[in-house]
Amino acid sequence: MLLFRSLLCAIGLAGVVYAKSSKGDSVLVVVEPKQQDNYSIFFNGLREQGYDITFRAPKAETPAVIEFDAPSFAHVILFAPDTKILAKDLTPQSVVDLLSHNTNVIVALSSKQTAISTLAAEFSLVLPPPGSPLMSYFPERTDPATVVPVPVPASHPMLTPNLPPVWFSGVPHSLGNNPLLVPILRAPSESFAAEIDGGSADALVDAAERGGEGLWAGSQLGLVTGFQTLNGARITWVGGVDIFSDEFANKEVVKGLKSGNEQFVRDISAWTFHESMVLRIDETTHHRVNSTTPLEQYTTNDQIVYEARISSYDPKTTTWVPYSGLKDLQLEFTMLDPHIRTALLPVKGQPGKYSVTFRAPDRHGVFKFVINYKRKGLTYLQSSTTVAVVPPRHDGYPRFLSAAWPYYTGAISTSIAFFLFSAIWLAADSRDQKKGKGHKSE
Amino acid sequence: MPLKSSPAQPPAATNAVQTLWKAYNDQTPDRLKFIDAFLFFLMLSGVAQFLYCVLITDFPFNAFLAGFSSNVGQFVLAASLRSQVNPENKNEFKEVSPERAFADFALGSIVLHFFVYNFLG
Repeated sequence: MLLFRSLLCAIGLAGVVYAKSSKGDSVLVVVEPKQQDNYSIFFNGLREQGYDITFRAPKAETPAVIEFDAPSFAHVILFAPDTKILAKDLTPQSVVDLLSHNTNVIVALSSKQTAISTLAAEFSLVLPPPGSPLMSYFPERTDPATVVPVPVPASHPMLTPNLPPVWFSGVPHSLGNNPLLVPILRAPSESFAAEIDGGSADALVDAAERGGEGLWAGSQLGLVTGFQTLNGARITWVGGVDIFSDEFANKEVVKGLKSGNEQFVRDISAWTFHESMVLRIDETTHHRVNSTTPLEQYTTNDQIVYEARISSYDPKTTTWVPYSGLKDLQLEFTMLDPHIRTALLPVKGQPGKYSVTFRAPDRHGVFKFVINYKRKGLTYLQSSTTVAVVPPRHDGYPRFLSAAWPYYTGAISTSIAFFLFSAIWLAADSRDQKKGKGHKSE
Repeated sequence: MPLKSSPAQPPAATNAVQTLWKAYNDQTPDRLKFIDAFLFFLMLSGVAQFLYCVLITDFPFNAFLAGFSSNVGQFVLAASLRSQVNPENKNEFKEVSPERAFADFALGSIVLHFFVYNFLG
């Protein structure tokens, strides 16, 4: 028993030491037990990175993905595209629940219509009718036309640069205009979805006309597409589960060149599991120029300095390191509308620090410093700090302005004139009285 | 016809102005003339400030309001003093002696100037 416990403890420690994800390292894989070994390269790669993998058959009830309203795993992989009906807690609704609990999901699709494939539409992915996988007759090869070598984009922030083409077999999707989508892999331009897998040509044409998609053909189709929800959870839709398979990982694209599958699936799982392209705002501060203490309220027209520190996650050392790579970060100073929107640029010589100096608007009210940085693939950076902007105090205004001297002169001369007038009037009064007296005495 | 009448009119106009000026000089008591001089000064000062405000700057607007309203207020007070001490208005102001009128004027002016300097900035 003691041995068992210390063993558990050691495993736990190892998990901490080698953990690569910034969100936790427990992974649930939903896969038919028979097919489990088909993806051993992918799963072993995850294990080597330090992930703790639990397998579960698609129709098994345990382990539950969400227990007592808390997700049991940090990441979930759904590799059961052909299973018509999954267990009760793997419905489309529960996938959405997982995402809202910040659990990351990889979903593999197939050309069969299942409950999960209907969910793709909710993520702005439009699938062709059932039974219409991707096929291509180019380049000429001995494999069936549905096994397609797909060139990988040479410079994609998520992927290792200059990967060889990857083998793909599965269903394409066209992308809606949802801004949260992150296209990763596109279909080759000479490929198309065809009704060879039990579908019908008429259905394909009808669906194309009805959806306004045109035909499912060409390089606008997506094969692997990520989606980052507003709360930061990541889900990756993969058109076919075979892209993860050992067979495709070891298959040569041309003689002597192994396919890029192994590295490609590791890259997309690294993105989905919050290893790569993960940023955070460590702290934000604000103060007046020539001061360091942050104020709760600023005066109109103050010169304000705003600073943010941003880190990115480094999966190799599992630490957060200062990151100065953002060139298009913006700061907004907002009261209902952004009164000021300015570039928040990295400070040279101070890694991770971004700073801007600006003049507070000539407008008092409750303002917010807002950073709202949403870019495809990157963690969304959001920060909001509320401060008050007040008019100057009664004694804070400038006095004795040179422009106002005519008015000062006017007021002062009026007073002087009033005193002179009164004095002369009273003097004339007393003279009149003397005269009057003299007249009376006469 | 207009050619003939137009040279004839200016002399008539000048005559009217001259007559008015002469009558004013002859018939107005010295005290009222003195008040009128004060009123004239206030009017000039007010016009000058107003022009400065319109043409150059109204920037410390409170200063303009203070300076201009001190002129206007002083003008109103002085004008009411003039009507109260005018011997021709004796029947109108039976209860107000000239001394009382001047005391009212002085008190009102002091209060006015107090506000003006508070507002001048």
